[in-house]
Amino acid sequence: MKERNPRQNYLGARGWLWGGNYKLERYLYLLHRVTGLGLILFVMIHLIVTTIFRIQGQDIWEAAMALLSNPWFKVGEYLVVLAFVYHGLNGLRLTIQELGLAMGKPIPPVYPWKDALRKQRPITTVILAIIVILGVIFLFSYLQGGR
Amino acid sequence: MRDTYLRIWQLFTGVAVAVLLGIHIVMLHLTRLFGANAADLTSWESMLDRARQGALATVYIALLAFGLYHGLYGLRGIILELSPSHTTIRVINWVFIILGIIVFIGGTYVPIALLSS
Repeated sequence: MKERNPRQNYLGARGWLWGGNYKLERYLYLLHRVTGLGLILFVMIHLIVTTIFRIQGQDIWEAAMALLSNPWFKVGEYLVVLAFVYHGLNGLRLTIQELGLAMGKPIPPVYPWKDALRKQRPITTVILAIIVILGVIFLFSYLQGGR
Repeated sequence: MRDTYLRIWQLFTGVAVAVLLGIHIVMLHLTRLFGANAADLTSWESMLDRARQGALATVYIALLAFGLYHGLYGLRGIILELSPSHTTIRVINWVFIILGIIVFIGGTYVPIALLSS
């Protein structure tokens, strides 16, 4: 019988996208990664603006700020804030899950049993609700002319 | 054991980034809700005024350090799911360490220079 290496990822890059039986939580995790990668990209662009452009003086800074006040950049900025809110709060959910918190009292494994993910589903629902509420508050701020 | 400590740091930096970036976003992006003028915040004078405050510079430098660790460690984890060889993992580790140090030095040079401007 062929010996299998437990560390081996047999799905390859497909494993990044396929949720299998984990359903909602696994896709929230996928979105967590997508928002994380987006935030890394944004941080790099943000660092270029706040270092290279800033050190070149007032004229370059003001030209960059004028460019960034374009409505399309504002939409992008809102998406970055939304990505941060999602990534932060979903990260909190993942930490709670990883540390085995909010599992409730242990109960006998009687059918129909609940797995760990379903026991923590209320937390997932609350976190998603908070994300939506904060997303609406930030949208309101942007529509009001905030940054 | 080393991986466990690196993972704990990932959780700790995640919390630290959430707090520091939360302060940054509320200060600069919920301006209208708190009655501030958004246009003023991006002006050269306003930016210089903030840049000369040591406390804010400290917050931004800490945010950069924690953010870089959290982001690069997360990206490393995504890549490592492809089960690369031990040699490749070592190369990835060093590439990320060097990249993190370069970006940190580049990102802190200007805030420190502007403190004394």
